[in-house]
Amino acid sequence: MSHNCSHLSRRAFLGTAAAIAVPHIVPATVFGRNGAVPPSERIILGGIGIGNRGSGVLNWMLPERDIQFVATCDPQKARRQRVKQMVDTRYGNTDCQLYPDIREFLAVRTDIDAVLSTTGDRWHALAAIMAMRAGKDVYSEKPSAMTIAEGQGVVETARRHRRVYQSGLQRLSEGNFTFANELLRLGYLGKLHTLRAHIAPWDAAEMRHDWLPEQPLPPKEETDWDAWLGPCPWRPYNSEYTRGGWRNHYDFHTSCIGEWGAHTFAQVQVAAGLADTSPVEYKYVANDSGDGMVATFANGVKLVLERDMAGKIWHGSCGVRYEGDQGWVAIADGYSKCEVSNPAWMADFRKLVDDYMARTQRPMNHVRNFFDCVKSRRLTVANPVVMHRSMSTVHAANVCMWLKRDMKFDPAKEEFVNDAEANRFRSRAMREPWTI
Amino acid sequence: MSRTRIHLILIVTLLLACAAQTLAQTVASKSDEPKLIAVVKDASAPLKARIDACRQLAIVGGKDSIAPLAALLGDEQLSHNARYALQMNPDPAVDEALRSALGTVKGRPLVGVINTVGYRRDAKAVGTLGELVNSGNPMVVSAAARALGSIGTGEAVQALRQALPKVPAECKLDCYEGLLRCAESLAAAGKTQDAIAIYDPLYQSEAPHHVRGGALRAAILVRQTQGLKLLQEQLPNTDYILFSAAVQASHQMPSAGATAILTGAMKSLPADRQIVVIQALGVRGEKSAVPALLDAAKSGDPRVRVAAIQAVTELGDPSAVPMLVQLLDDSDREVAKAAQDALATFPGSQADTVVMRMFAGNDTDKQRLALDLMGRRRMTSGIPALLKAAGESGSKVRADATKMIGDLGGPEQLPAVLDLLKNASQSQDLGAVEQAMTAICLKATDSKPLADAMIAQLDAAQPPQKAILVRVLGAVGGPNALQAVVACAKSDNADVRSAAARALGTWKTVDAAPILLSMAKQTSAPAEKTLFLRGCISMAARGDLPVPERLAMCREAAGLVVRDEEKRLLLGTLGNIESPEAVELIAPHLDDASCRQEAALATVGVAEKLLKAQDAASFAAKLIPSLDKAARNAASEDLVKRAKAALAQAKDKAGIK
Repeated sequence: MSHNCSHLSRRAFLGTAAAIAVPHIVPATVFGRNGAVPPSERIILGGIGIGNRGSGVLNWMLPERDIQFVATCDPQKARRQRVKQMVDTRYGNTDCQLYPDIREFLAVRTDIDAVLSTTGDRWHALAAIMAMRAGKDVYSEKPSAMTIAEGQGVVETARRHRRVYQSGLQRLSEGNFTFANELLRLGYLGKLHTLRAHIAPWDAAEMRHDWLPEQPLPPKEETDWDAWLGPCPWRPYNSEYTRGGWRNHYDFHTSCIGEWGAHTFAQVQVAAGLADTSPVEYKYVANDSGDGMVATFANGVKLVLERDMAGKIWHGSCGVRYEGDQGWVAIADGYSKCEVSNPAWMADFRKLVDDYMARTQRPMNHVRNFFDCVKSRRLTVANPVVMHRSMSTVHAANVCMWLKRDMKFDPAKEEFVNDAEANRFRSRAMREPWTI
Repeated sequence: MSRTRIHLILIVTLLLACAAQTLAQTVASKSDEPKLIAVVKDASAPLKARIDACRQLAIVGGKDSIAPLAALLGDEQLSHNARYALQMNPDPAVDEALRSALGTVKGRPLVGVINTVGYRRDAKAVGTLGELVNSGNPMVVSAAARALGSIGTGEAVQALRQALPKVPAECKLDCYEGLLRCAESLAAAGKTQDAIAIYDPLYQSEAPHHVRGGALRAAILVRQTQGLKLLQEQLPNTDYILFSAAVQASHQMPSAGATAILTGAMKSLPADRQIVVIQALGVRGEKSAVPALLDAAKSGDPRVRVAAIQAVTELGDPSAVPMLVQLLDDSDREVAKAAQDALATFPGSQADTVVMRMFAGNDTDKQRLALDLMGRRRMTSGIPALLKAAGESGSKVRADATKMIGDLGGPEQLPAVLDLLKNASQSQDLGAVEQAMTAICLKATDSKPLADAMIAQLDAAQPPQKAILVRVLGAVGGPNALQAVVACAKSDNADVRSAAARALGTWKTVDAAPILLSMAKQTSAPAEKTLFLRGCISMAARGDLPVPERLAMCREAAGLVVRDEEKRLLLGTLGNIESPEAVELIAPHLDDASCRQEAALATVGVAEKLLKAQDAASFAAKLIPSLDKAARNAASEDLVKRAKAALAQAKDKAGIK
């Protein structure tokens, strides 16, 4: 982009560029970017820790006409370069800039409005908080936090700096799931009594604390192991961790409950209008209900964590089911339409989804909802409070599993009731120099 | 026993005790604390064991663990693990230990200690943190600034204010963060003026955009109703950051005055800013914004108009409906489309009324639009009007209205639709009635009464109507419908007969299978014979039926198949039936030049699956001739290879060398 455009406002330029089919790269610095995006302007986007999942999301974002991806950071060189190749191929240039260190990236790229953060779980909250403290809006993959304290940090930082935050919980922007939620909200199911949410199929919430065998450290420019570990306790390097082998390790992962609960708990809590609170009671799996682990909200609605019943009460992964006194609805990934107790409800599918979009001004496109909110400063559908509260349910359920007993939780104080032992799980000290 | 040996035994014992806790999550009990402390204190213990002990002490550590852990705070390798154990220990002695460490620990561990002091909000540490925030070491300054912010007392505010002008440039952001945190704590404690004293200078400062914007938003909200004045002042601000922050604050302001301020300012703003204000009015949800929004929707920048239409839809106030109807005719296509979408989703009966009025008018385009809106709004209240229009010979939307009855209606509408069928003569009307009847019938939980109602019409129906009834009966199914359709398959009228043959050929339940076979044998019409045979073979392809039943159908059909297309269909079906008999039924086709490749493929496919069975030895010999022939006849290299492999396997299972 030639600098002789600098006398134009971004809006004026884009008004011209919009008529041109070939994507135009407009360095935000040309326009003297100052940290806010009016409705007619393009959003300058950067990346943090974009791997396989992140590439999928980025592929989804890049075709949006009002975004321009300019740089990415990652402690792993190979991943940085993959993102650059993808972005440069899309734009037909070599402009995408790479950064190994998140601190440098955030400090230097003041032109960036928003970031796509798709690190491993251990970095999600910290990277989001750092980015928001640097003035960026954030689209972050789930789970949003490793602990209750991290979730609180995301909520407070977004509010403090009036940042827009969207978690990658795309099912909240899909027609089938929205229809199920609207059936519940509009009373088709009658009085709600039970929510069922799928958790990951591998058994138990028990997590690994062992270390994989030590391997020689790679050169820092290839993989910065210290940065990869980030806020987690130090352990010796093993390349397996960096290839997804971090899963199931306590320091890096939120267990089988978090793996899918990060999706399904948010879905059910949003559907039931319980996204700003958490259950008040958790019954350990060895209870009398026969339902496995059951959490109960203050209004008496039960949340059943479904591991064994999956495939029987829904078909597919990441399933949820809402049960009221007049009917039920179930939905999981891969459904062409919901399963419902009354097939006649399906005739209202389009109406309910359209009405939802008109009522909330949220499209059935999760990344679009984020970009719209970057401009309007409205709350996203998977906003910090939704994610924090549903992840608090995940964390509390994990603690229940780890301590192998029932417990009570106070959603107002966000602490376990008269349970000093459980309360110690609410936070983990971050390895210096990282902090929220 | 030597001291070294005792020492070794102790370590091994402790490691074994913790072994179950290291691989998988098992929380230690309080009684384990002395052992865990011993490991933490033992400098010769493996690093992993000491780290694991710290992790367990994070849950069960009490007063006794504090000093041993505090001793590690300056240890580059274990400082974090010590803090990990101390951070959530509620004992006040932890604060004392951390405060003490603030004065002794250096480098990166000091940053960690400051962070934990901040997390614990130790007000007694403010003095030391005040010194550290002026230390000049950027990492330490930043950590101290954030920690002071978390503590949030008046003294912390003082320390941050004094430090702000002096800290290195890269630490300013952390000082701002600290001040904002302090302001939040003060506001939460009811010290509103103290919070304002932080927010106001910050939003007016040269701080980065998110600090200024965040401060202004909070400055407006913390003032509660007094914040309206500040909101009003900031709306004309040429700085987009402050304008946007002020508008965002209005999202959460309960006072109705905020809506009045936003609507009052709207007109004088440029388009971009009008859109932001309009979206805020949508979020606020106050009906008093409707007149201003309708005014914005009337004319001007189309993007602003579209935003205004969307916002009035969010508010859902009926007074907006007439304007939306007017905008349907707007010359700007985006605006007209937005109005149409708004009417499709607008809550309440007012919108239903205008849609019905539109449908009752004379403008055919509008009537079609009304039909679309009736469908999107699921307006079952419109069904009587639809039935009326569907029955009017002069109506240009007759067929569309009929289809909409199927979309919106239920089984209770079938008699009326059957009346429409009687009177329909033009092909588009007949097609519309058929579509409506099918849609209605497929919604029924019990379709038998509907089938019976249609069967009752058959005798008196003219051939075109009769053909439709037959097709719909085919979609509905059931024993009575089957019987009626079979009767129609013998009709003198070719159209009716053809409709019946097609209905039977795609019948959903297996009770049609013997009928299909019988009719395939009886009919002399080649086209009908093909339909019956195809129906029969398709039924045999159903995996939910028992294998003997499927084989029986194939056997019967095989005797009737003549055309190559049906032969291939039959071979495709047999290729998915895991039975040695399927291979036998395929065998004659291995010599048929028209389909030997399909036969070879089916033979190999079935054989491969069968040979995996535990009892494969009992039938393997039967497969050999067919596999041998398939291996010789197959055209593709891959299929030859597969056939030979299966042949070898069959011989092996059969014990043939």
